[in-house]
Amino acid sequence: MKFNKNDDGTYELDVTGYVCPHPQLYTLKCMEKLNEGMIMEVLIDNPSSVESVTQACNGKGYAILETNQPKPGVTAMKIQK
Amino acid sequence: MAEAKTSSRNKIYAVGVIGFLAILTILYYLSAPVYLYIAVYMWFGFLYGALQQYGRFCFASAWRDLIMVKVPRMFVGIMIGLMTLSIISAWLFTKYPNFYHVSPIGPHELVGGFLFGLGMVFAGGCATGSLYKTGEGNMISLTVLLSLSFAQAILVTLPFFDPVMDALHLTGPNSVASATPDIWHWPQFLLANKIFGIEPGQHASFIQNLIGNAFVNTILIAFLLMIGVYIVYVRKNFLKRRKAAISASAGASADGGEAKMGFGDEVAGFWHMISSSKRTTIAAVLLGIVAAIQVFTMSWMRDQYNFGDTQGNGNFGAVFAVNADGSRPTNDKTDRSLDTWPAAEPGEVTKGQSMFDPGYWYITTQEAMAAGWVIDGVVPESITGNLKAPHVDVPAGQPQPAENGNRYFGSSNAIPKPWHSPALLLSFGLIMGASFLSLWNREFKWKFPTRELFIYAVCGGTIMGIGSRIALGCNIGAFYTRAAFGSLGGWLFFIGMGLGALISAQLVNKIANKKMAKQMESMDFDIEI
Repeated sequence: MKFNKNDDGTYELDVTGYVCPHPQLYTLKCMEKLNEGMIMEVLIDNPSSVESVTQACNGKGYAILETNQPKPGVTAMKIQK
Repeated sequence: MAEAKTSSRNKIYAVGVIGFLAILTILYYLSAPVYLYIAVYMWFGFLYGALQQYGRFCFASAWRDLIMVKVPRMFVGIMIGLMTLSIISAWLFTKYPNFYHVSPIGPHELVGGFLFGLGMVFAGGCATGSLYKTGEGNMISLTVLLSLSFAQAILVTLPFFDPVMDALHLTGPNSVASATPDIWHWPQFLLANKIFGIEPGQHASFIQNLIGNAFVNTILIAFLLMIGVYIVYVRKNFLKRRKAAISASAGASADGGEAKMGFGDEVAGFWHMISSSKRTTIAAVLLGIVAAIQVFTMSWMRDQYNFGDTQGNGNFGAVFAVNADGSRPTNDKTDRSLDTWPAAEPGEVTKGQSMFDPGYWYITTQEAMAAGWVIDGVVPESITGNLKAPHVDVPAGQPQPAENGNRYFGSSNAIPKPWHSPALLLSFGLIMGASFLSLWNREFKWKFPTRELFIYAVCGGTIMGIGSRIALGCNIGAFYTRAAFGSLGGWLFFIGMGLGALISAQLVNKIANKKMAKQMESMDFDIEI
């Protein structure tokens, strides 16, 4: 798990390599740390975690600004608190 | 450009998976037409795997994601799937009344479910979830599967297994893995039969099955659970957002007052919970339908290939069973033609034995059998005993037979060669189905365990394996099919699974918090760590 702050003030969480429940767990824990309006990009290579993160964000009212697949099996999600 | 190349290469691999299974099907058929039964199991596995991958359908998430991240999608999905299967199976019970072997209802389901739930959170997936994730290239899930399979096989070969199971009254004179385990003291019934007082040997009508098994045992309980989940996890946030949205639009109205929420809004919230993950809900309905079609197909094939009857009875082991003199054991089908069967080869299944052949969606027992087959071939008999010898229960004080085999493997069920085990081919097909879809959608990725994940996988898989044996099934065999077919015991397993998941979720959460704190302690952030 790698959590970094980018130069543009956004945050980045890399949870590739992990299986359930770790990606969704770390993503939500990190999102909880952010202040309102802050943006975090998370990299996940576990498809079921992507579904769970999407649902969790909908439930908590976090906005998923962008979702793409930078390479096979890896999903990048940009989430705003 | 490179992306397009990868995409088309993945699609070629996906088609290759289909081609591989097609070749296997042809080879099976050419070996003996009756082997199509195995291939059909495999293709049903393929459908389960593809649907699970599409819906990210893992039973572990039902409790775990609810507890850890407050996401109800999988819990709801499972309930929808159960309801679908239960309605269709009310008809299946009238068509093939004996297709389902009722399991005993008892505390072993609660205890087994508890251990299973404990393990599945560590493992990162349930038994069938680990199969489909293996198909996505996830070797951590494969580690879970191997741990789960060998844990079961080793457990049942340990000397204390039989006495402990006996002491718990979990085994009777027959194998715990037999089709209808004879478990002392614990009742075995389908709810419809109990409610309508159906006597043994009689069969409930379609309406009785629909009311007793589908409506009371499955739909009512599942619906109440869904309402509970809605109230605890969804309602507050949904109504808050809905209220805010209505109030904002009503701001322009004369009173500008706060919107009041009524029954219609509650229904909208409940529907929102069901439809929020379309993938999961669609997969749930289709899985229920496929599971029902499998029951029908396997029962029909047993009759067509002359190792079953029109009532849903039958076992694929009959195809391999031979008497000591090399002749085939007879059954009630005196006019049966064996033209489609393979030539008799003594040794695999002896007279009186059967093979693990449930005829419906089942996971873990066949994998334990496969692990037993490996152990039997690798570990000296002086250590494991004769796993394949028929087990004979002789009262204490009486002369014991010289070769007393393993009760779990040797009493009712033979250990088949893996490629002769229909249920094992279902598991294999499930992996392939998930591989096909994940390759097609560019979601396949090889993933290997780190030391941390390896420990989680081995511990989780082992605990799940022990739980499966005690409950006589896993999340599919001990919960999903039991609950959908009318056995209250399935719900005991589900409750146990939730309690186990609750404990292991706390532990995983604590470890994650420590890890996060360590990762962030030396960083300079403008957020509160």
